[in-house]
Amino acid sequence: MKKAPLIAAAIVVVMLAAFPFLSPEVYYLSFMFSVFMYVILASSWNLIGGYAGYLSFGHAAFFGIGAFATAKMAALFELPPVLTILAAIPAGAIAALVAIVIGYPCLKIRGPYFAVVTLCFAFVVDLAVKNIEWLGGAEGIWMRIMDVQEKLSRSIMYEVMLILMVATLAVAWWVGRSRLGAGLRAVRADEEVAETMAIPTANIKIQAFVLSAFFPGVAGGLFAYYLTYIHPDVVFSINISILIVLMAMFGGGGTWLGPIIGAVILTMVNEGLSTFARAEIARIIYGTLFIVVTIFMPDGILHFFLKRNRGR
Amino acid sequence: MLTGKKITKRFGGLTALSEVDFEVRRGEIVGLIGPNGSGKTTLFNVISGIHRPEGGDLFFAGRRITDFPPYKRAQLGIGRTFQIVRPLAGLNLVENVATGVLYGRKQGAGAREAREKALEILAFTGLTEKARRFPDELVLEDRKRLEIARALALNPEVLLLDEVFAGLNPTEIGSAIELTFRIRDAYGTTIFMIEHVMKAIMSTCSRIMVLNFGIKITEGTPEEVANHPEVISAYLGAAYAAC
Ligand SMILES: Nc1ncnc2c1ncn2[C@@H]1O[C@H](COP(=O)(O)OP(=O)(O)O)[C@@H](O)[C@H]1O
Ligand SMILES: [Mg+2]
Repeated sequence: MKKAPLIAAAIVVVMLAAFPFLSPEVYYLSFMFSVFMYVILASSWNLIGGYAGYLSFGHAAFFGIGAFATAKMAALFELPPVLTILAAIPAGAIAALVAIVIGYPCLKIRGPYFAVVTLCFAFVVDLAVKNIEWLGGAEGIWMRIMDVQEKLSRSIMYEVMLILMVATLAVAWWVGRSRLGAGLRAVRADEEVAETMAIPTANIKIQAFVLSAFFPGVAGGLFAYYLTYIHPDVVFSINISILIVLMAMFGGGGTWLGPIIGAVILTMVNEGLSTFARAEIARIIYGTLFIVVTIFMPDGILHFFLKRNRGR
Repeated sequence: MLTGKKITKRFGGLTALSEVDFEVRRGEIVGLIGPNGSGKTTLFNVISGIHRPEGGDLFFAGRRITDFPPYKRAQLGIGRTFQIVRPLAGLNLVENVATGVLYGRKQGAGAREAREKALEILAFTGLTEKARRFPDELVLEDRKRLEIARALALNPEVLLLDEVFAGLNPTEIGSAIELTFRIRDAYGTTIFMIEHVMKAIMSTCSRIMVLNFGIKITEGTPEEVANHPEVISAYLGAAYAAC
């Protein structure tokens, strides 16, 4: 019985991995790439925002840091495109390092203040990158493109993002059932009580925050490579930060499946909106959705439909 | 085993504890009484590390723990309950208790052992039938039992019980007293308890300390304390007259 979900997950992954071999249109490859990316972002955010209840509204910062770090490394070391993909991993480590530095003071602040501080952090990083010439400044950075057919390059990026998604979800799964996850849930419920239960709250919050920054950092690196040109306005966009929170909460924060469902549904909605509506209208619809979710489904659609099944 | 020397705690202009000395020895059940607002809960908050005292020192098992964060004190074996119950909302009873087992003194337990141990503790505290329930579905008596179960999950050396009898009816008080003795006998836990219910404290404690306006006015056996003139005037007088 315990094996069933694992087998189901393995089948889904194999099917997803096989998809590019059916030679679908490039559009579908790009769309799935976005889905994978947002699943990674929402599931990573969930480690700190969902399990521990520390709502970070600045997660695009880690995504952007990963993107710029990858682009910069590629330019500095003149890496061939295939190696650039690997550069996304140290770029994720840089994002994780930044998370340690800012998490240490920020995670002492609870509730809405934490949300505001992380929001400001993302603004500061955005401004800093724009004003540092060395990082490409306000012009952004171009990257070398793979000199293969577009379809092949998209297929490669699809597979690489899929691998990262599987890795992220495996870690999220592990956290959810581990001692760390139990500690984080206690922190969310009542941090003071958690301390009196021998839980080193400061320590485990940092652990969760670092994990939640690492994967978005790597994803940012892959995204940079995929776009071949990155600009601060794109990768540090507050829209991304909000979208991440919305996806995780819409699906159901603090659960493994919730952020996945949220990311899949909202990426589809996003795609539909950007095809059929203008950006301003899309934003209004998102804003409304955020309000509706917060008021009527504070625990997300997963809990909304599976009432009473709290916790997992 | 647990010692406090000249503990002073102020909240702004209010001195909640004033140079309080205390000692709890291994295997004892010690009571802490005093009128409302006399600083009892504050003393427990200082012992468990939630409040930092302005003066004085704390020692536990021979170590100075005055500067230890709360989680370290809990790891060393100081468990506590809260007067106003504070269960972990959103987690069922097994999860509440299992979390304590995972982080408690006997570390290295996997998720499965932690659950088994949690079920064992829930059985011990009489909550087996409600193991899959959520705290907000419980009546007060059971929530108080959950507080105790969660503290026991740490496998504590000393357990601080803050008014676990308050708000219970006489039958419930009877079974809570019985539980207190069982904890000491089965787990070998030393108990330091705050109590308002006189019947409970007189029948369980070997020694009682009395606080009034943050000052320790006396300490002794239940009979000594009950007959102490200052205690009678400060606290017991009205209650005794009414009986
Ligand atoms: N966190 C706090 N901030 C300010 N004052 C407090 C705080 N905790 C307790 N006090 C005050 O300290 C005094 C002692 O309170 P407490 O220890 O809760 O009393 P008891 O448990 O004996 O009824 C009271 O006057 C109370 O108002
Ligand atoms: Mg009190």
